[in-house]
Amino acid sequence: MAFFLFRWQRRVQLQQARHRIEREMDEEMRHHVALEAEQLVRERGLTPDEAHRQAMIAFGGMEAHKQDARVSRGFALFDRMWVSWLDVKLGVRMLLKYPGLSIVSVLGMSVAVAIGAAGFTIFQAMIDPTLPLPEGDRMVSLRNATRYEDGPSRQALFDFGVWRRELKSVRDLAAFTSDGRNVVTGTGRIHLAEVASMTASGFRAARVAPLLGRTLLDEDERAGAPPVIVLGYDEWQRTFEGDPDIVGRTVRVGGAVHTVVGVMPDGYRFPVNHGYWVALQPDPMMALGEGPVCAARRMCPAAYVFGRLADGATLEQARAEITTIGARLAVAHPDTHKQVQPQVLPYAHPFFDIDSPEVAWMARLFQLGLALVLVIVAVNVAVLVYARTAARTGEIAVRSALGAARARVVTQLFAEALVVSSIASALGLVLAGVGLTWTQSFLRSDGGAWIPFWFDLRLSPGVILYAAALAVLAGVIVGVIPALKATGRELQTNLQQLSARGSRMQLGRMWTMMIVAQVAFAVAGLPFGLYIAVNSVQRGTQDPGYPADKLVSGWLSLEGDEAAQKADSATRAEIELRALNGAHELLQRLKSDPTISAVTFGGFPGSEGFSRVEVEDAAVHGVRHGIVGLGFFDVFSVPIATGRAFEASDTLAGANRVVVNRVFAEQVLGGGNVLGRRIRTVTRRPGDPSSEIETGPWLEVVGVVANFGTQPDFDPADAKVYQVSSLRYAFSTSVIIRVREGASAAAVAERFRETAVAVDPRLRLHQVRTAAEAEREVQQSLLALAISVVAVTAAVILLSAAGIYAMMSFTVVRRRREIGIRLALGANPRRIVGAIFTRAALQLGAGVVVGLILAGAIARVMGVGPLSDSGPLLLPSVVALILATGGVAALGPARRAIAVPPTDTLREE
Amino acid sequence: MASKTDLLQGTLDLLILKTLTPGALHGWGISKRIQQTSKGVLEINQGSLYPALYRLEDRGLLTSEWGVSPDGRRAKFYTLTTAGRKQFGHEEAAWQLFTTAVNHVLKGATA
Repeated sequence: MAFFLFRWQRRVQLQQARHRIEREMDEEMRHHVALEAEQLVRERGLTPDEAHRQAMIAFGGMEAHKQDARVSRGFALFDRMWVSWLDVKLGVRMLLKYPGLSIVSVLGMSVAVAIGAAGFTIFQAMIDPTLPLPEGDRMVSLRNATRYEDGPSRQALFDFGVWRRELKSVRDLAAFTSDGRNVVTGTGRIHLAEVASMTASGFRAARVAPLLGRTLLDEDERAGAPPVIVLGYDEWQRTFEGDPDIVGRTVRVGGAVHTVVGVMPDGYRFPVNHGYWVALQPDPMMALGEGPVCAARRMCPAAYVFGRLADGATLEQARAEITTIGARLAVAHPDTHKQVQPQVLPYAHPFFDIDSPEVAWMARLFQLGLALVLVIVAVNVAVLVYARTAARTGEIAVRSALGAARARVVTQLFAEALVVSSIASALGLVLAGVGLTWTQSFLRSDGGAWIPFWFDLRLSPGVILYAAALAVLAGVIVGVIPALKATGRELQTNLQQLSARGSRMQLGRMWTMMIVAQVAFAVAGLPFGLYIAVNSVQRGTQDPGYPADKLVSGWLSLEGDEAAQKADSATRAEIELRALNGAHELLQRLKSDPTISAVTFGGFPGSEGFSRVEVEDAAVHGVRHGIVGLGFFDVFSVPIATGRAFEASDTLAGANRVVVNRVFAEQVLGGGNVLGRRIRTVTRRPGDPSSEIETGPWLEVVGVVANFGTQPDFDPADAKVYQVSSLRYAFSTSVIIRVREGASAAAVAERFRETAVAVDPRLRLHQVRTAAEAEREVQQSLLALAISVVAVTAAVILLSAAGIYAMMSFTVVRRRREIGIRLALGANPRRIVGAIFTRAALQLGAGVVVGLILAGAIARVMGVGPLSDSGPLLLPSVVALILATGGVAALGPARRAIAVPPTDTLREE
Repeated sequence: MASKTDLLQGTLDLLILKTLTPGALHGWGISKRIQQTSKGVLEINQGSLYPALYRLEDRGLLTSEWGVSPDGRRAKFYTLTTAGRKQFGHEEAAWQLFTTAVNHVLKGATA
């Protein structure tokens, strides 16, 4: 800030000095002329007027002398680079005079600025966020980086005790874990919330005082201490209606009843995005600090460790200190700590996997790299402007001849470009703002528990400055480069040829390459954008094959099952049994609900996995493979075409029965009566595609169902095979309820959670919603993606079309005389147009070929997409569209060429 | 003589420094003094005079001050600085050397 103030002050001073010097110079020179005139009156007896006139003539051009004087004073540069208001006005006039070019330039650059600004904001929020805490920049995260296969480990709890005892440069060391729990209020309302189990020191590190009551205390962490909870402001307002006497009341959170001890102020969502805090108790977290034992079994619960840099300590000191401790632990406990490297990072970094300063720098580089998009677009626009500048070479040459310095002309063209780039920047910021607001609300739409509270995607003053800098950069590229070229060595020639024929300026090989590259990009990118767009619109209008608004689904899990994955087998078995019993009971209760017609578990149609199946005495096919629960086809109202649906006996071990869809029956099994046919799964050995070794048991087809399913299906007409499973799969699938006709899906959704909590308060239901709501969400994100892809490719097509137009206009202007003569000599206009078209056609053709190769490569990488599905239609239409756009762009100049009366061109000679 | 205003590159600085040796003068005064002392042979182009004055001032060989000229107008007076005097000494010596050398050549050539 001080720097900017200084710059501003310096600028004002310079400006004042400049005015003073100009005034004095003017006075001095006028004095000179006055003395000269007086002498002429005295010595030659001239009248004062005549004497003044002659003195002025003798003195010569005063402005030119002043300019020379300025040069010798070193003010030349300052003077030349000073963009005047007049330049800006001229810029606006040029903008209106060439609306086509202005629209293309503004649109192209605004998309690029939007990408740059949005990227800048997102990366800023990830790399250098401002933590809304007192001295938030001194908060740090600590963690163990390991070289285990599963990547960096958060299992730092075992070292937490050691760090807490020994670290001097980090104080208030704290740990937290986070999991979803059912919150049941006194009025019986239930919702699932992310609850932070945190050491009391976490509140001390954050340095935010509670609004009501107290925060957590060290005593709350003791084993056997009464469970207490601190509430966030929003939760207090929303769930507890801002009850002023909330402190002391009880609330059931998961398996235990907690006493509310405090409420935090508005906006406090520390450590990630939390509104409920309970004490991190050693049980069941094992003995805190008894690390080596825990680490040896690799069963430590995942925990985040953080703290605040001690007064006067730097991040580097903390890093050095923890490295020393880590080295000592590695020597003392080589089995567990040899592979472990403890780290201290800026607080926010681990949440976005920014593990090291190198990664942070890479991210920063990428952030800057996004500005390259603008550079590319700006260079493009620069060439267009160059083509326009070609039409103005006469004007520039005359101005130069009248004494305008080259820098002056360049400055004016820069100012014109700056007007365009500033408008584009403003528009780009608006686009980025809309996109980011949408992204933010989309990210937080699902409660956004893991979207950190500091992850703020609003446009900051920093990004506005950044966009301003981008505008200047674009202005330099768009204005200065063409201006330098136009005022270069050729200027004299231009002046000489002013009357003869436009300009000798050239559009070189670079330009050709750029058009080819853009056409290629459009050919490669547009099909994908359109494909996604068409897909999302199709999904919106397509009948999903089941009554989406009558289906309520929720993801079922048991509180603490994350910890169970790390626990020993006995504990795990116990937790799994509890979960299974709970789920079983839940399904029973739901089935007995009169407003519910059917219940099942398993994925939605379309979420099936991929398998390779071998048909008995026939070939191997790749198909979709769904594991479903009993009643799956009832819930989705899928008609059975032949045979039967699953029965309870099919879930028994060794039953080995499957149901297939019609596509499977016809394409894989070859049609006819498929009941009784047998198939089995074939698994390839990882890393060896030629081996097909593991085969499953033979499975008998007992039924054929209609084709159905849309959600994430790229093709609803996939061959599908269904296998039934017993409830043991409940934890990898969702529970789906079919609401009876006439009953309210919303009411069922509410009762769904209540029923689960009534069965077991630790049974959690995530994402309870109707299938229609889920589908809308997918559609929305697809649509947003499609809009962005189409916007970017449309901008590119626009630029390439404008490029072709510019190139063609240019050719026509340059060859005007030749065309005129040829027409005068009776040449066929069609042949002339053909000759002009050839160059455009060559560039378009080359671009299309490169684009097709690129599209093929992308389709190969993506596996699915426009080339494999609707490719035969989509890709040629895109190519046709681009060729047509290019053709139309070329048409105008070509028509202008033959419309020239030959006599006119000849007369111009 | 090709032109009255044709001055050898660098001689204008020398002439200005010399003209200012007796005391302060304004721009017009300097140009008139040079014209007078050269008996009308050297006419200083105003387009060169003022840039030269500013350049010499920037180099610290002259200082300027606003005062009142004999005609009662506000005028800018230039004075030689100590550095200017020294510089004049060097440039005068160099000029003498140069003209002597050129004379030698010319005499030799005509001999």
